[in-house]
Amino acid sequence: MAISKNHVLKLYKTMLRESEKFSSYNYRLYALRRVRDTFKDGKSLTDSTEITEAVHKAEETLEIIKRQVVVGNLYAAEKLVIEKKAEKELTSRQGIRESCLDGDRNT
Amino acid sequence: MFRNSGICLVAEELWDLLLPKKMAAIANCVRHALVRNACLLRVMLPRTAVVGIQQNHIHTKTWNQFYALHKPSLIQRVISPKRLYSSKAPLSLDFIQGRVLLVLKLYDKVDPNKLTIESHFMNDLGLDSLDHVEVIMAMEDEFGFEIPDTDAEKLVRPADIVRYVADKEDVYD
Repeated sequence: MAISKNHVLKLYKTMLRESEKFSSYNYRLYALRRVRDTFKDGKSLTDSTEITEAVHKAEETLEIIKRQVVVGNLYAAEKLVIEKKAEKELTSRQGIRESCLDGDRNT
Repeated sequence: MFRNSGICLVAEELWDLLLPKKMAAIANCVRHALVRNACLLRVMLPRTAVVGIQQNHIHTKTWNQFYALHKPSLIQRVISPKRLYSSKAPLSLDFIQGRVLLVLKLYDKVDPNKLTIESHFMNDLGLDSLDHVEVIMAMEDEFGFEIPDTDAEKLVRPADIVRYVADKEDVYD
């Protein structure tokens, strides 16, 4: 059974959505970048066996991402400084709330 | 039996209202009473309520009525539950259009000079299907609702997206 284009696109979207849920900045960006790059490289594949193999590998990786998202959320660390600054620039109201919380934590 | 549940409700509310430091001991009293006998509660609660009141300077008249403990409507009068709804900001077609174009301009694979409301993603802007998926995901994040894949494949220009969002959000300008 040939893998349809829609199946691949759906898989791409699911993987990106799951990767966004990582709480660790590094894991999150790495997962997003790796998913994008792997799918872009796989665009040129034409052999159906290769395509099926790549899709199966991607589905396994999706399971890994889901598991690691849950594990990462169990032991979440503090946000990195760059993340905090980005939040403050994006939404000022939430930034004020965040900075108040940080103030409580630092004192 | 109804009276007992009334008492329990009242006790719980007292627990919430009287929590500040002075009342800690009294609240504990009430809590313990709840855990033990209901009859014991009936005996203890009025006393603790009265004691609590006098220390807290609450209007005696209201609390004497509480002390009577025979009307469930009192509970509603003292703790009047309200329903508070929230809604999103009102949308207009121009607002949606502005947001869609802004999101697309921020996407680094799109050349902002070539971007117009009618430019086709694949033909004019040179995006491929993977980029299209990313654009649709960005739109989902921007407007806060999911776009199913069957609808997503039909959205091939910003104008389509604007029209789709307007349909979903019931915006008729």
